Amino acid sequence: MDLSKALTLLALLMIGVLLINGLELDHEDRVDSPLHEFYMENYDEAGSINLVENILLNYRAYDTFGEVMVLYITVAGILILGEKKEGGS
Amino acid sequence: MKSPVIKTAGRALTPFILLYGAYVTLFGVVSPGGGFPGGVIMASGVILVMVTHDSSEIKALVENIEWFDTIGAFAFLLVGLCGIVLGGAYLTNLWQGSPVMLVILDVVVALKVFAGTVVLFVYFFKQEVKSCSTD
Repeated sequence: MDLSKALTLLALLMIGVLLINGLELDHEDRVDSPLHEFYMENYDEAGSINLVENILLNYRAYDTFGEVMVLYITVAGILILGEKKEGGS
Repeated sequence: MKSPVIKTAGRALTPFILLYGAYVTLFGVVSPGGGFPGGVIMASGVILVMVTHDSSEIKALVENIEWFDTIGAFAFLLVGLCGIVLGGAYLTNLWQGSPVMLVILDVVVALKVFAGTVVLFVYFFKQEVKSCSTD
C-alpha cells in the first residue's frame, strides 16, 4: 500500500469519527430558540412565504454573498491554474 | 461525430430544462427552490447540449460565459451597496414586505451559479477531449 492510499484511508477514518461524533450531539436545547418563533411569525416583513428563502436572502444575505464569492474564487482559481499548466507544456 | 439521435434528443430536451430552471429561480419566493438550484438546473441544460454535440459546434455557445460569472458575482455586490446608499445598511431589504428584493437577488445568484458551473464544466470537458485525442 503506497502513501497516498494510506492517507486517503486515514482521511476517511477521520471523517467517519467526526460523523459519528456529530450524530451523537444533543440538539434538544436548540429547538425552543426564540429565533425560530421570530422567523415563523415575521415572514410578512421579510417578503416571502418561503421561510428558507427569507433566511437565505434576507436575514442571512451576507452569508449568501460569501457563498457566491466562494464559488467565484473557485472558478477563477481553477481557470488560473489551468492556464499556467497549458503554457508550461 | 455524435449520432443524430443523441444530438436531436439533447436539443429537444434543453429548452424544457432551461424553462424549469427559470421557473425554480423565479418562483423561489413562493415554493421550494431559489437561485442556487435554479442556476444549476439551467447549467445542466447547457451541459446536455455540450455532451451531445461535437466540441466544434458548441464553441460559440460558451465563448464569453466567464463574463456572466463575473457580472453575477459583482451584481450581488452592487445590490448590497444599493442597500447602503438607499437603506442605511449592506443588503438592506429595500422593499419591506414585498419579495422584489428576494427575486432580484435570486436572479443574480442564478446567473452567477449558472455561469460558474458551465465554466467549470467547459474547462474540465476541454481537458477530457484533449487527453482523449492525444491517446
